[in-house]
Amino acid sequence: MRRADIAGLVDDRPADGVFRVHADAFRSRQVFDLEMATIFEGGWCFAGLDCQVPNPHDFFTTRIGRQPVVVQRGGDGVVRAFLNACRHKGALVCHLQQGNARTHTCQYHGWAYDSAGANVGIKLLRQGEYTPAFHAESHDLHAARCENYRGFLFVSLNPDVPPLAKHLGDMATFLDLIADQSPDGMELLPGTVTYTYRANWKFQVENTGDVYHFTSTHPSYIDVLAGRKAKDGAGADTTTYARFREKELVRGSMCFAHGHSAMWGSNPTPEARPLYASLDEVSARVGEARARWMLYVRNITVFPNVQFAENASLQMRVIRPLAPHLTEMTGYCLAAKGESPAARERRIRQYEEFFNPSGLATPDDTTAYEDCQAGMQAGRIDWHQGYMRGMAVVQQGGDRYAGELGITPQTSAHGGFEMGDETIFHGPYRYWRDRLVAGA
Amino acid sequence: MSALAEANALLFAEAAALDERRWEDWLALFTEDCLYHVPAWRDEVTPTTDPRTEISIIHCAGRAQLAERVQRITGGRSVASLPPPRTAHVVGNVMLVEASDAALRVKSVWASHVFNVKRQDQHVFFSRVEHTLVRQDSAWRIARRHALLLNDRLPTMLDIYSL
Repeated sequence: MRRADIAGLVDDRPADGVFRVHADAFRSRQVFDLEMATIFEGGWCFAGLDCQVPNPHDFFTTRIGRQPVVVQRGGDGVVRAFLNACRHKGALVCHLQQGNARTHTCQYHGWAYDSAGANVGIKLLRQGEYTPAFHAESHDLHAARCENYRGFLFVSLNPDVPPLAKHLGDMATFLDLIADQSPDGMELLPGTVTYTYRANWKFQVENTGDVYHFTSTHPSYIDVLAGRKAKDGAGADTTTYARFREKELVRGSMCFAHGHSAMWGSNPTPEARPLYASLDEVSARVGEARARWMLYVRNITVFPNVQFAENASLQMRVIRPLAPHLTEMTGYCLAAKGESPAARERRIRQYEEFFNPSGLATPDDTTAYEDCQAGMQAGRIDWHQGYMRGMAVVQQGGDRYAGELGITPQTSAHGGFEMGDETIFHGPYRYWRDRLVAGA
Repeated sequence: MSALAEANALLFAEAAALDERRWEDWLALFTEDCLYHVPAWRDEVTPTTDPRTEISIIHCAGRAQLAERVQRITGGRSVASLPPPRTAHVVGNVMLVEASDAALRVKSVWASHVFNVKRQDQHVFFSRVEHTLVRQDSAWRIARRHALLLNDRLPTMLDIYSL
């Protein structure tokens, strides 16, 4: 694709009050291949959590873009990432989702690698009648960059990327708001659920920051909560959404450099959160403002492939694009270490009910993405009108709410729940456009 | 009728109620305080076992929670639930594991064929199921339905009619 064609997919004219994204961004195979090469395989992607590999030689396998990767803690305690492909013929050397192994031995021709990815054995090397040229080559697994920000592990297949901290910028504060919820840190609860949907990955990026859809996409979920409230009275205020209409709610968004974005909102039922019970301890540790923000609704996307949604519960979800019209999602439940058994159980039930693809809310989101992908085959829907709510109030830099956190986003916007801000999508698409143009 | 034949009859009745979308009949098969549980998987071989500390795919405690799902499926306010899929549940390998006058524990295998008419797409969900049946008002009722879903990479979504 020519650079001008890619740049033309985002119609970004703030002076005219216009922001539009072209449907080819979601349906073009060429765009998808470029996204994989430049964004997913050319920059930082989320890989997993440090707590998934607590001990020496612990590993998990994943994919970065299209490529199979092992993330492993070496015997020296350092967490590394390397391609899960034997240097001999490219076979997978690590076959499990997670585990502990001092060595990975390829089961095809028996080449072996240690837990730092270094080759420690080529079967019948001496008898192989190899040339000096062979011996001059490295036989180690290909290394990838791996950096850890407060337990969040990121990997880059491209060695030539800025340090992770620079990539995250002030977005890191929103990761702090997760990491600091317990003095002992966070843990990943056992049991993950993976699902696919037949639509573009960027619908998932958008939906997580999309306040506007909630009342029209999730009336059946709202009905369930209303039914419980009618039956049980106040005792049914068990989720963030139980009373979302009843109080004056502020909703806001922030866009950061490198495509990151955060939607936030004040919480009408903070007492429904497991964290509420330890609010005093948390406030003493991180200050009143950050403790209050921890109880807010916060849906964030660390571009391009991980989201943390803290509303009914706290979900970490990893986005894996498979094709322009096909995406795989894996959901994980994160929890503060040390919370009471009752709080933990409540967290899990809220998580399952809201976030699972077998729950009462997420299927309606994913079905809506699929309907978008199907409807987009209508040629005359080239330019979507879904990016202009909130444009009259969006401001450059941080608003006073960003000030509470001491951070400076590129843009910020806030208003009532019903404003349904869509400027939260502008930052991600600007960065997306710039990366694709640079990589074309 | 033997206990095994009675268990078979109840499982078939459950499958038929789901396929024919007779939701009130389906709900009536469960006890008020039933547990409907579909665990998630920890890894390739290990399902979660303790729903208080681990994630489940579905965990409904009590018939009222199942009724909420029925309301969502039939209420016309869930885009994921309309138009309704067509399903055919095949129940096999029914075995009586424990039997007394008051309770039966039954193992079976379910293949749930789901045709999504809107997408013109189909999928088979397969699970190993264990029912605990108790006698109430001289009829067997489901006190516990534990379905271990084996193909847990879910195409878009899963609901009670997919199991």
